[in-house]
Amino acid sequence: MKNLRNILSAATMLMALSSQAQVGQPYIHDPSTLAECDGKYYTFGTGSGGLISEDGWSWKGGAVRPGGGAAPDVLKIGDRYLVIYGATGGGLGGGHNGRILTMWNETLDPNSPKFKYTDAIEVAASDGLEDNDAIDPGLLLDPTTGRLWASYGTYFGNIRLIELDPKTGKRVAGNEPLDIAIDCEATDLIYRDGWYYLLGTHGTCCDGVNSTYNIVVGRSRQVTGPYIDNVGRDMFHGGGKMVIAAGDRVCGPGHFGRTVIDEGVEIMSCHYEADFEQGGRSVLGIRPLLWKNDWPVAGDRFKEGTYEIESERRGYALELAVDFVRMKQERQAWFRQEQNTPIKPVPNQTLEEVIDTWPKGDIPARIGDYMFRPHQKWTITAVPEAGGYLSNPYFKIVIEGTNRALAATDKTEVTTVPEFTGADEQLWRIEQLTDGTFRIMPKAIPGRKGINTKFVLYSAGDSTPTLAEYDFNSDNSKWNFRNH
Amino acid sequence: MLLLSAIGATAQNPIIRDQFTADPTARVFNNKVYLYPSHDINPPVGQRQDWFCMEDYHVFSSEDLTEWTDHGMIVTQNKVPWVRPDSYSMWAPDCVYRNGKYYFYFPSAPAQGGGFAVGVAIADNPEGPFIPEPEPIKGINGIDPCVLLASDGNAYIFWGAGRCAKLKDNMKELADDNPKEIVKWGNREMEMVGVNCLKDLPNRQAEGPFAFEYNGNYYLTYPYVRENTEVLAYAMSKNPMGPYEYKGLIMAEHANGCWTNHHSIINYKGQWYLFYHHNAYSPKDDKRRSAQIEKLYFNADGTIQEVKPTLRGVGISKATKRIEFDRYSKASKGVEIAYLDTLNTFEGWEAALPSKGSWISYNDVDFTGLDNSYMIANVMAHENTAFTIREGSPKGKVIAQGKIVCKTEGARPRDYSGRWMNVTAPVQYMPKGVVDLYFCCDGAAVHVDWVQFKNREKYYSPATATAAKPDADGFIRRWLVLEPINKPNPTNTVFTDSYLRDAFGKEYFKGQFTTLPVDGQKVKVEKQTLKWHALDSEKYNLKLFRFAEEKSEQVYGVLFWAVTIIDCEEEIKDVRLAVGSNSASMWWLNGEEALLLSGDRRMVKDDGMSPRLTLKKGRNILRGAVINGPGMSDFCVRFIDEKGQPVKNISINHK
Repeated sequence: MKNLRNILSAATMLMALSSQAQVGQPYIHDPSTLAECDGKYYTFGTGSGGLISEDGWSWKGGAVRPGGGAAPDVLKIGDRYLVIYGATGGGLGGGHNGRILTMWNETLDPNSPKFKYTDAIEVAASDGLEDNDAIDPGLLLDPTTGRLWASYGTYFGNIRLIELDPKTGKRVAGNEPLDIAIDCEATDLIYRDGWYYLLGTHGTCCDGVNSTYNIVVGRSRQVTGPYIDNVGRDMFHGGGKMVIAAGDRVCGPGHFGRTVIDEGVEIMSCHYEADFEQGGRSVLGIRPLLWKNDWPVAGDRFKEGTYEIESERRGYALELAVDFVRMKQERQAWFRQEQNTPIKPVPNQTLEEVIDTWPKGDIPARIGDYMFRPHQKWTITAVPEAGGYLSNPYFKIVIEGTNRALAATDKTEVTTVPEFTGADEQLWRIEQLTDGTFRIMPKAIPGRKGINTKFVLYSAGDSTPTLAEYDFNSDNSKWNFRNH
Repeated sequence: MLLLSAIGATAQNPIIRDQFTADPTARVFNNKVYLYPSHDINPPVGQRQDWFCMEDYHVFSSEDLTEWTDHGMIVTQNKVPWVRPDSYSMWAPDCVYRNGKYYFYFPSAPAQGGGFAVGVAIADNPEGPFIPEPEPIKGINGIDPCVLLASDGNAYIFWGAGRCAKLKDNMKELADDNPKEIVKWGNREMEMVGVNCLKDLPNRQAEGPFAFEYNGNYYLTYPYVRENTEVLAYAMSKNPMGPYEYKGLIMAEHANGCWTNHHSIINYKGQWYLFYHHNAYSPKDDKRRSAQIEKLYFNADGTIQEVKPTLRGVGISKATKRIEFDRYSKASKGVEIAYLDTLNTFEGWEAALPSKGSWISYNDVDFTGLDNSYMIANVMAHENTAFTIREGSPKGKVIAQGKIVCKTEGARPRDYSGRWMNVTAPVQYMPKGVVDLYFCCDGAAVHVDWVQFKNREKYYSPATATAAKPDADGFIRRWLVLEPINKPNPTNTVFTDSYLRDAFGKEYFKGQFTTLPVDGQKVKVEKQTLKWHALDSEKYNLKLFRFAEEKSEQVYGVLFWAVTIIDCEEEIKDVRLAVGSNSASMWWLNGEEALLLSGDRRMVKDDGMSPRLTLKKGRNILRGAVINGPGMSDFCVRFIDEKGQPVKNISINHK
């Protein structure tokens, strides 16, 4: 029985782990930074069109962007959306005369009566002979100055920086392009805490499962650069620190975009040149964005499995409030130890050994010393039919080997229920924070309306879990998943 | 608020290309030309849609009549106390400098009473800020003020249908000693100050008077309706207030029926210019007009030669900026001009050259500052065709030849017919100074929007005789490079270690791994005859792609050999060869393999490092091979010591 269960759960894990990318039909190349419009998410890609998502997790085609061309970006400025994209000027046989164009729309929803793009305006061009290929633009609205910048270019020469007028989307009069990097493409600029970051895509594009595309970063105190990597190398000399590369059966991440969900909750969007689980197609990818020593790095997608859920507050483990069942051990007084007795490993305490001591109904949750006992081991699996959010699907969190599920209560507390029913209060949103810890959030709280985006699993005391408003600046909001 | 914006270089007509500019009054202040036009706009909802509509004034300036700076709005209707709000009647203005102040005169509809009044706004600078006087000038009822600062020491103001009166020294009031007359207006009688200078002259619907003084004569120039629409005419006198004698036309009616014309005349740097307007950007509505300029000439007797409007206008265009051939000087028969976008006429025009032999010319293009350059042309065609840019005439010297390939056959056929394309071509002959350009069609019909010339970036120069040193970062910039060997590869992902050992290990030419090549030496590689070039790179990385582009037919799918000599005064131990290359490369020091960079490489500084090496005392031969499929091939090489510092106590030679 036990073995069968293990085999079953291993199989479920494999199936559920299948996709590292978003679900639905997330087929895209060079996705623009995710944009939100009337509660939906949008991203545009190379060629025409793009993807739409209701929840950030499941994506399908349907976004509309005229003009074709390569690698657009989109940014909400005031109450309008500025779309920037690159179009080739008609050069034949691998020509490099590109054009960067901008256009506005009041909405990204193609079904809205307000949906209408303004005429595209050329803001930069390359003539085919210079060291630049004017496609692949990325936008940055500098939060400190309100000035609007765009980087663009490919492997054909240099990455350039220009300034645009945030009111018109036009090039600022008299602005001359600045060369800021070499040998990368699909760049994007971001700003955080006094640093400007230039993210560029290196490696081989467009070669399916053999694409080595990867995203690297350099940073500068000025938007105009120089953008320097972690060993002091200028991106204009090919420098760059890795942000995301292949792994987890996806390869070729390219075209970075950053989205801040909440304080300390950030994600990066990209495409994977090939998702091995989706036939090697190019798909939208979303990963947690972590910050280490003021360098951005992609976190891994949350992996299903069995974990200790450790509080960042004290380092205690989330557990069932049940009797601690002492384990038996043959012990000898130290002065009578026989040096030659063979050593026998002590087996772990099993669920069968303790489960009958547990109450049958709801059991409150508690936080205590981690002793890798059955009442402290949580199996976390995706519930695909429950949908998701930008980073993940919703998960159920049950005691390993049981269906006893962690649940939110109508008193805004946490408990466990004997059987997982799929109710919203038993579904959990798990997001990695920028410091590498996690926040854990029930999809709904009984008695509160709608999808919960505020209350998280929280250390009320060292030993007492509750639900409380997320606060990135408090370790009470943060948890770690440890498999040990 | 002053808003500065430089308008794209435009030598041609119209001179302001992002907004309407009517009734252009030009003045020379501080050796610059300032332009005070009225500002036509498309009428907002609630205003008469088929009538003039002007709410404010901008001022522009230029030092070459080519590039204009918009200094932004200076006076606006609802911030002038006496102007009726939302009257949109800020008509033709003028601006003069006197006694340290700039006086800006403008007509508008007054809040009290009907008709038009004329106000003045005063500034310390020609760009403003201008402070409007609270009341309009008493005694003026009419439009289109123009102020003449006469050599008799007085200032005279002209307005309306040619009336003139003297101004007080304060420039804000009419002088007390002006004559007055009773004028009948229908069945009304009213007292008018000053004299009507056009009383007995051709004056039907006369307006927009502009007076100036030259060579002891006063000129009163003005639009009036000769037949159906306005002409610009003039009269001369020895006195500012006349009597004036009619002399004839300055400019005939606009050919397209644009009803108004309105003008000013200045002398700038010794040349006389006529500023006037035309509805170039608003073909269906002649109430939205744009300023233009032509040169103006006097006859010996002081009379004015009639001026013909042109598209080309005046000013010298820089060859490095877009030359809008559609604003041509001359064109052969059959050449047609059309708007690029009839919905947004400010996008400008294009010219269509119908057949082989047709041409279009653009005068006064300055090539100063260009040397090793290329041409970029924004062109469109429906069949594959070609064109030539020539100097001076349709048969003049060939500057550049462009090919328009809008249809290709083969595995991936493309059809770009009817699409605008940037076509580039090298400059075969570089004109000196200012020349007239001819754009000539060499085949099927060609459409041209603009042509521009650019200097090529300098990537390297022939190696000099003196020994070179590494640059500040230790990069070795002097190399003997062999013209590229054809080695077709559609992708760089094939560059595995074993592929490269095979590709780099093969002997392409004799002495490939042993002899020291000489600058100019030729080697034979199968059917190719290739030459060695001793180069000094301008950059830390040697741009092999640009080298191939210059020396070879083949820029992609190629293999390069490069050699340099490192001379050391003493033996240097424990250094590493640090290389970045695009794409894969292999390097040998003194015949020993030092480094292999495999795979689809990008040029990254210090990407690969050799094991610790010894640079021996005296000559060291460093040899490298770089292979590339698609993409921009280049490499950067330096030596790094044990502490990670660049090795710089070496000299670099090619012989």
